[in-house]
Amino acid sequence: MSGKTHSHAGVSEPQGTAAAMRPRPAGGDRQPRLSARKKRQLAGWLFLSPAIAYLLFAFFLPIVYNLMLSFERTSPATIAKFAAPFAGLANYHFIFHDPTTLKAIIQTFEFTGGSLFFQFIIGFALALLFGTEFPGSTLGRSLVIVPWLLPLFVTGVMFKFLFQAEGGAVNQVLMALGLAHHPIDWLNSPHLALWTVLIANIWLGVPFFTVLLYSAIQDVPTEVMEAATIDGAGPWQRLFLVIVPIILPVIEVVLLLGFVFTVKVFDLVIGLTGGGPANSSQLITTWSYNLSFQQFSFGEGAALNNVLLALALICSPLYLWLGRDSLRGSSGADR
Amino acid sequence: MTRPQRSTAVRWLRALAAAVALVVVLFPVYAIIVGSFESTETLFSGTFYWLPHRATLENYVTVFRAQSGNVLTSLFVAVGTALLALAVAVPAAYALSKYRLRVTVVIVSSLLIAQIVPSIVLATSLFIIFHWIHLVNTFVGLVLADGTYAIPFAILVLRAFFFSLPNELMDAARVDGASEWTTFRRIVLPLARSAVITVAVFAFLNGWGDFIFALTILNGAGIEPITLGIYTYLGNYSTDWGAVMAASAFALVPAGVMLVVAQRYIASGLTAGSIKG
Repeated sequence: MSGKTHSHAGVSEPQGTAAAMRPRPAGGDRQPRLSARKKRQLAGWLFLSPAIAYLLFAFFLPIVYNLMLSFERTSPATIAKFAAPFAGLANYHFIFHDPTTLKAIIQTFEFTGGSLFFQFIIGFALALLFGTEFPGSTLGRSLVIVPWLLPLFVTGVMFKFLFQAEGGAVNQVLMALGLAHHPIDWLNSPHLALWTVLIANIWLGVPFFTVLLYSAIQDVPTEVMEAATIDGAGPWQRLFLVIVPIILPVIEVVLLLGFVFTVKVFDLVIGLTGGGPANSSQLITTWSYNLSFQQFSFGEGAALNNVLLALALICSPLYLWLGRDSLRGSSGADR
Repeated sequence: MTRPQRSTAVRWLRALAAAVALVVVLFPVYAIIVGSFESTETLFSGTFYWLPHRATLENYVTVFRAQSGNVLTSLFVAVGTALLALAVAVPAAYALSKYRLRVTVVIVSSLLIAQIVPSIVLATSLFIIFHWIHLVNTFVGLVLADGTYAIPFAILVLRAFFFSLPNELMDAARVDGASEWTTFRRIVLPLARSAVITVAVFAFLNGWGDFIFALTILNGAGIEPITLGIYTYLGNYSTDWGAVMAASAFALVPAGVMLVVAQRYIASGLTAGSIKG
């Protein structure tokens, strides 16, 4: 999927403008060439300007302001002003010494690692399953994306309903199957709440892995698979020695995007547990919300936001590298 | 001779496995719909009924009375987000694919990174910034914030699409004397119809499903979308499950409609947007 379109890169963009100049009838071209070119440059800038303005306003400004805020001693009264007193590193000192914040950071890692692991395994298995032919496979493929389209917050609420200790469908199934002898308190037990959020998030994220891995597997040339079969490769060998190496670039992208999406999860937790009980399912995002919007410690919230941002951006060089085709100007995505 | 038989058995075994997976995928949605028709007594009886037990419309009546304004707000926000995304993204994607501008690499890198930035980081700052410029509690403020989900994605997906249009097409229009704007309006836009719909569908769903910006930028004094309406039903100690279920069922409607009506666009958007970010 990546790299397939390399060869077009030069043709589709950089030379396009130059090529366009040539066929112009020289006689009727009264304007000097430079001016026509400048005119086109100007048009390009005008087309781009709303996006530049938006990026500056909605991304650049908040990120810079967040950085400033993390060095300020804020209080509810300072919100109306542009700047609060300088606090040095006090906000960072706080978040790296506050037990709840540290707990939220550790839980974010556990949550992200657990989600990615199970989403990848289950998503890959379903992608392989849907890649084979069986009655109803087309319908199945279109329905498997349902969790992806639902509002995340509603998904959280939905699972809160399913995981209720009394009258929740999950406990009812477990008890009917004899896997549990008494109702499990999924939402109110400090030992289980993070697991509950994790299960809901796996449910939510599997379709993403399934859809992307499915389309990658479909792109594996049939001849290669047939050749491997003729050479006597069994199903597992075909999987690990043929499919996985071929789709490895997609696997990298999917895991990277999965990481980035999972580190950001917020709505789901608020809908499901609200971060509780006793902060046992608190993640960086939800704790940052709590610091800023419930305790009105915007400075501390901003400092924690920067930790989160750094965590998400650790991946960005890798992300840009994987997206290098799109930067170079090839046909970006396969459709 | 035995081979066709075995492969039929294998095919049905696969169908069975897929059916089990789909039950897990779809059951939560089914449970919400069943729950939304249950009476309060049933919901608090401590038993989950697999089929509606003495079905009633009372939850829908409650929610319709209390939440129709919020549903309308969500609809406006969703449409507003889609329009904003299109207005910003379509020309930008065109410029980034068909004009040789010096900033192209910088902007495309910024867009890739913008997709990584967690919403809570933006929400904290935007709340204070909006406070200064009086956009807290406003429709415009919420739509501007919701654009952060939709716009980077929209530009990247549309840009990938514009690369597939041959340059000769635009050159022909220019030779015929069309201005840059006319070329864009009359030649490029009509051809981009399906990519534009894809992007609009996703922006709509983003605006409709937004919770974090509604939670932070609105503080209950003005407009309230349906997600926030559901949030207020989730009390700390007792949840009004009937109302929550009916309101959630409402909140799921656009996703259902899109799945049926715009399936083609959704499938192409999911793969296009994600792989190349």
